[in-house]
Amino acid sequence: MNIQFKKGILELCVLVLLSQKDYYGYELVQTISKNIDIAEGTVYPILRRLTEEQYFTTYIRESNEGPARKYYRITDKGREYQKILLEEWNRFISGINALIGEEETI
Amino acid sequence: MNREQFLSQLRLNLGNMPDADKQDILFDYEEHFRIGLTDGKSEEQIAESLGNPRVIGNSYRIDAMLSLPKEGGDITAASVSRAVFASISLTFFNIIFVLGPFFGLLGVLFGMWATAVSLTLAGVGLAVSPIWPGAIQFIANPLLNGAFVLFSGIGIAALGVLASIGMSVLTKWFFIGVAVYVKFNARIIRGEK
Repeated sequence: MNIQFKKGILELCVLVLLSQKDYYGYELVQTISKNIDIAEGTVYPILRRLTEEQYFTTYIRESNEGPARKYYRITDKGREYQKILLEEWNRFISGINALIGEEETI
Repeated sequence: MNREQFLSQLRLNLGNMPDADKQDILFDYEEHFRIGLTDGKSEEQIAESLGNPRVIGNSYRIDAMLSLPKEGGDITAASVSRAVFASISLTFFNIIFVLGPFFGLLGVLFGMWATAVSLTLAGVGLAVSPIWPGAIQFIANPLLNGAFVLFSGIGIAALGVLASIGMSVLTKWFFIGVAVYVKFNARIIRGEK
């Protein structure tokens, strides 16, 4: 798959997941890679970039099972961006589906 | 590849980013390894699923490069030059499309500045020459008296100052132009990878 395309989708996945709850990096990566085939290391650059764009904030929290973990939390700005991306995605998908539908009826 | 190898390769491929940024980035991968190990995976398995540290390092560098001349932020000559050199270090492609024009235009700009500054200095020199005790009076023509020389000197100096003001505006445009160009260029690189 085209890497740019995949990056865009990963960005959307990260935003959608974080709009549901706070995640720590490893947990987020595992949740995504369970569903999509990715190089797991590519998620962290996205997290860092979106944090720098102020879509996420981070905080450190102690865990019961081991050392402290870095959590990510979505900001209002991030939620707005997530909505825009999701709308774009849905438009894109329904466009593709319309094309495939036409193909099948021929 | 084990944990140590992965981390040192990633560090290497972060290039000349500031140390604080590097540590910040590596911290995420150290945490990833730590949690992965308690999750029952081996260092090799974790490194394998993380992917190629070179590719990962590159994406950090590209992101850093793109965010350097921040939108609406201060565009300084230093930040623009940093961005220029960051992109040069990325690919040979940039050597052709950034380095050449950048230094070429920089040279032109320097030449024009030199002209403006020497015009100012020449004007000042000319204006003070009639009253300067040590100055050689090489002009024999009686029409060119002291007052004439004084005022033409002031005129030339004023022209030089005007040229300098014009040059500072032009210099600013130049660096803004370079910033825009570097961003455009980086999009091309990113599109390729």
